[in-house]
Amino acid sequence: MVETVLLVGVIASIFVGFNIGGSSTGIAWGPAVGAGLLGKATAAALMTFFVFLGGWTVGRNVMDTLSGDIIAIEISLAAGVAVLFFIGLGILIANVFGVPVPTSMTTVGAIAGLGLATGTLNFETIGWIVSWWIVTPILALWIGATVGRYIYPELNRRFEISSSEGPLLGLDRSGSVPKPALGPNTTYQELGGTITVLVIGCYMAFSAGASNVPNAVAPLVSSGALEVNTAIIVATVAIGLGGFTIARRTMESVGSELSDIPLLAALVVMITASTITTALSWAGIPISLVMASVMTIVGLGWGRATRPVTAREAVRGDVDREMTMGALKAEPDAPITPIGEEESDEALSAENLFNPRAIMKYVSMWIIGPSMSTLLAYGFFIAVPFV
Amino acid sequence: MISRVLVPMDGSEMSEHALEYALEAYPTAEITVLRVVGEPSPLWGEASGLALAEDFEEAAQDLAAPTFERAHELVADAEGDADLETVIELGHPVRAIINRADDYDTVVVGSHGGTVADNLYVGNVAKKVVHQSPVPVVVVR
Repeated sequence: MVETVLLVGVIASIFVGFNIGGSSTGIAWGPAVGAGLLGKATAAALMTFFVFLGGWTVGRNVMDTLSGDIIAIEISLAAGVAVLFFIGLGILIANVFGVPVPTSMTTVGAIAGLGLATGTLNFETIGWIVSWWIVTPILALWIGATVGRYIYPELNRRFEISSSEGPLLGLDRSGSVPKPALGPNTTYQELGGTITVLVIGCYMAFSAGASNVPNAVAPLVSSGALEVNTAIIVATVAIGLGGFTIARRTMESVGSELSDIPLLAALVVMITASTITTALSWAGIPISLVMASVMTIVGLGWGRATRPVTAREAVRGDVDREMTMGALKAEPDAPITPIGEEESDEALSAENLFNPRAIMKYVSMWIIGPSMSTLLAYGFFIAVPFV
Repeated sequence: MISRVLVPMDGSEMSEHALEYALEAYPTAEITVLRVVGEPSPLWGEASGLALAEDFEEAAQDLAAPTFERAHELVADAEGDADLETVIELGHPVRAIINRADDYDTVVVGSHGGTVADNLYVGNVAKKVVHQSPVPVVVVR
């Protein structure tokens, strides 16, 4: 009987991990794959390795929180399986409707529902987690806005990440022993840019592992049904499986949306989101990588859109503002309107892109998702008290 | 007498039907095709991409260009001598349409364009336009 329940639990874990693999591989590698810097299979392989690394190290802290700190009792095997089903349900809804339902938040929600139903919820821990959930998007937004407004133009001026025709690296066969050399059209700058993108992708994969590996298995670890190390390996295999299969699609869909923003901006987003996620996971706080990513994207765009200078000036960077202003005045074609294009009566305003109400509506989904999962789990565990 | 018609298009087939209908129903009217770019999306990619573009007006025009090309094709197909104007707006489609609607005699919209997810992020554009528009709205199915 116990074996059967455990088997069902592991299958549920694999389902959850598989889907996490699909979505987080898309976020971590979509930009690099979209830019043609590496293939999908290579991305999936790197993903699997760094997810394992993240889960094995930093992820343990989140595992402790999810499996032991949120509720005062251990999660029984049967309850753990039920919790996994609620996490899976959230993922299913996310997949079917294309809505981002943050897995970390659904997981905490479902476990909290169990805690409420059994009167064992550790309110101190849940309050601490939820307060970080409020701080994180604000922090990500603020970092994004600061970079977007003050630093990005300068970064943009200095770094150019491009992908030339032909392979990145080739073999130099001129000597007696073939040695690796730059591909036919590769510049050193391109090589450096590519390495940067790969390193940052690996970093993001690591943070995805740290924050997401516990989601797939923590409910089974709590009762001791699954040993921690085994659990991390099971989760990694499942995430890897998702990375090699369904992530092919998410790398395209997420990648195509992320490719709407310049690669450099995507890298800023990835560094910021990964750092926030890794740091919070280190502190044992379950956090969504997607949430940090999206808020950084919004911050970057909004920060840039609300700059008190025109786009033309921004192109030149605002470091030598005075000098640039002088140069601009002398520039005859500064405020041009492309000829032949019907222009709107008034100039387009980039600020319209970030309507506060639209952003609030978006953020509200992060509140609805975990709340629903808490309520559903609470109702379930009240109705079915055998667990 | 309807002389100025606003047709918001989002690149969907339904919005093309809206333009076809407008061309047929108001053959002598001056038709303005409105394309809203950078609307809210799951990752806010398009909106942020526009904001971060070196020249966002140019970037917005690039995004809108395929829709306008298609619109001109439809006008050519209709063999009318309709006057076609094109306008780009940024951000939330409903807001953009409502803000402009005042300058027109009527608005012709497709009943729905997007997927369930789009509906979540921006809502049903046609429905909201019907509710909020200051001028009569024709919803094409």
